[in-house]
Amino acid sequence: MISNKQSTGIRGLDKMLHGGLVPGRAYIVSGPPGAGKTILSSQFLVDGVEGGEKVLFVALEEPPNELKYNLRVFGWPIDGIEVLDANSDIRRFEPTPILEISTEEEPARFSQIRDEIRKTPDVESHEVSIHSLQQLLKTLFIKRGYTRVVIDSMTALRYFCMKDFEENISTQSFMRFLAESKVTTLLTVETSEAMEMAPEAFLARGEIRLYRVRDESGIKRFISIEKYKGSTHDESIRPFDITPKGIVVHAG
Amino acid sequence: MLRGGLIPRRPYIISGASGTGKTILAMQFIVEGLKRDEPCMWVSLDEPPNELKANMATFGWHLDHLKILDATPDIRMHKRTKSVIDVGTTLDVRDMEEVRDIRVSQQLRSMEVSIHSVQKMLKQEFFQHLERTKETYQRIAIDSMTALKMFSMVGIDSRIMIQSFMRFLSELEATCVIVSEHLDTSNIETEFFLARGEIRLHKWLDGSSIRRAVSIEKMRGSGFDDKMRPMTVGPNGATVDPAGKVPLNTTVVHALGSQFLERRVAEQATGSIEKAFEMAEQCRRLGHDVSRIEMDLTRAMLMIQRGELNDATDMVEKVKQGMELLLKPKPEAPVPPPPPEEAHGI
Repeated sequence: MISNKQSTGIRGLDKMLHGGLVPGRAYIVSGPPGAGKTILSSQFLVDGVEGGEKVLFVALEEPPNELKYNLRVFGWPIDGIEVLDANSDIRRFEPTPILEISTEEEPARFSQIRDEIRKTPDVESHEVSIHSLQQLLKTLFIKRGYTRVVIDSMTALRYFCMKDFEENISTQSFMRFLAESKVTTLLTVETSEAMEMAPEAFLARGEIRLYRVRDESGIKRFISIEKYKGSTHDESIRPFDITPKGIVVHAG
Repeated sequence: MLRGGLIPRRPYIISGASGTGKTILAMQFIVEGLKRDEPCMWVSLDEPPNELKANMATFGWHLDHLKILDATPDIRMHKRTKSVIDVGTTLDVRDMEEVRDIRVSQQLRSMEVSIHSVQKMLKQEFFQHLERTKETYQRIAIDSMTALKMFSMVGIDSRIMIQSFMRFLSELEATCVIVSEHLDTSNIETEFFLARGEIRLHKWLDGSSIRRAVSIEKMRGSGFDDKMRPMTVGPNGATVDPAGKVPLNTTVVHALGSQFLERRVAEQATGSIEKAFEMAEQCRRLGHDVSRIEMDLTRAMLMIQRGELNDATDMVEKVKQGMELLLKPKPEAPVPPPPPEEAHGI
C-alpha cells in the first residue's frame, strides 16, 4: 500500500480509491458522452489549485472559452488552472504547409481565456499531432513543474491527431511518456454507448469508469473502479450525482 | 427541458431514427430565428429544396426569406473521368420563395458534394451575406450529416474532416443544429462526440398509434431535464409536453432498441434477473439478509448494460443457486448470516 495518496477532489471517490490516487501515474476516466468525465477531471485539477499546486488542462475536444463558460456554474477557483488549447484549427486541404502546434505554444490561465473562440488564421492553420503535443508537453513539464495534468480527451487525440496506422503505437508511446514524466495524469476516454473497452485502459495504471443509465425517472449515473494497480479499492459500482458544487459520489 | 434553450454560438446534434421528426424540429428552430429577424440558413444535403418546401408547407410557417443552400448532389456520372467539379464553384443559395423545381443535373459537369465543398460553400455564403447585409448568420441548420457521411466521404480521413467541419462551424459563431442519425451505437461518431449537446428523438408503435418522445442526452455547460418527454407533431409543428411522462416499459425499451438497453440484452438474461429478484424477495420474507444478493444482482444488471452478458448470466446463476439453498426447507440447519456488507440499492 502506498501511503501518501493524492486526493481526487471528490470525497466519495477518494473513499472508493481507498485514499486517493497513487501520485505520478496515469489514469483513465472513461464513460459515454454526457457521463461527467470533463467535470470529474476538472474537479481533480481544482483540488490541486486549492492545495497550491501547478496544474494543466490539455483541451483537445472543446475550445477553452467554452470550457470556462461551462465550468463557471460550479463556482470553483478555476482561474489558477492553466489550459493548453490543443484544438486543431479548420484544416486546409490544399497542399500548403501546416503549422504544427509547436514548442512555442504556451498554456494560458483560465483567467486569461477570452470569451470568443480562437479563430483560424487566414494564412496558416494550426494542427496538432501526437508527436508535436508530446514534445510540447515534455518541455512544459520540465519548465513548469506540473503536479496534475488532465488530457481531455484521449479519444480526440486518437481520432484527430494520429494517423490510422500508428494509433496503437503512438498511444503506447504517449502513455509511456506520461509514466516517465511522473505527473499524475487523468486521461478522459469516450466510450460508445455500447460500452466497448478503450485500448488505453490496458496501458493505464488505473481506470475510473462512469456509467450513464436512463430509466423512467431520468438519467442515473454510476461510477466504478475497474482497475487500480498498486492499491486495493472498492469493487462496487456506486451511484453519483452532478450537483451545483460538482460531482458527489455516494460511496456508502 | 433545456432550462431556457440552447447556449448560443455552438453546434448541436438533433438525432433519431428516420421519421422521428428531426427535420421538423430543426426547421422549428430556424422558424423561431426568422420570427426574431435573425439571419438564418438551411443547408440541404438530404432533400432537394423543392421537396423540403412542399413538406414544410403543411405547417404554415413563414419561410419565404429563409436562405437555402442546396447542397444535394447531382446524379453521378458513371464515367471514368475526373470531370467532377466541386460544389463550391456553383454556389446555390436562394430564398425559400424562389425555390421552384428540382435542380436538373447538368449534362456535362455533374457536381459532387464533399464535406470540404460544403464547408467552402458555407464559408463563401457566410461572408457574402456579411458583406451584403453587415449581418452574420445567427442560426444554421444542416440536414443532414448522415447523408454527407454516407454518400460523400470515403477513407480514413473522415474523422478529421468532420473535426475540421465542426471547428469551422464553431468559428462561424452561429448556433448550429446538425441533423444526424446514429447508425451504430458501438461506434463513436465524430459529430456526436464534438457537438456540445444532443437532442434525441424517439418513435415507437404503441398498439396501432405512433408515439414520439424527446430526450436530452448531453448538454455541456447547462443542467437539463433528464427525463424523456412526450412529443407530438401537429399542424403547428412539434410540441413537447415538458411535464408529460413516457412509460418505459419493456415494449417501449425494446421498440427503442439499442438506445436504452443494449441490443445484446437478451430477453432471457433480463427475465432471469427478474426471477432472481422475486427469489430474493422470498428470501427476505423468510428473514434472510438479502442486501448482498441485491447488490450482486445490481452488478449483474450493470454488466448487462456493459454488454458482458455471459458474466452477468453466470453471476445471476450463482446468486440463484445460493438462494435456492436458502429457500430449501431446512429448518434444523441455521444459515450463516452473510457478511455485514452495506446494502447498496439502485
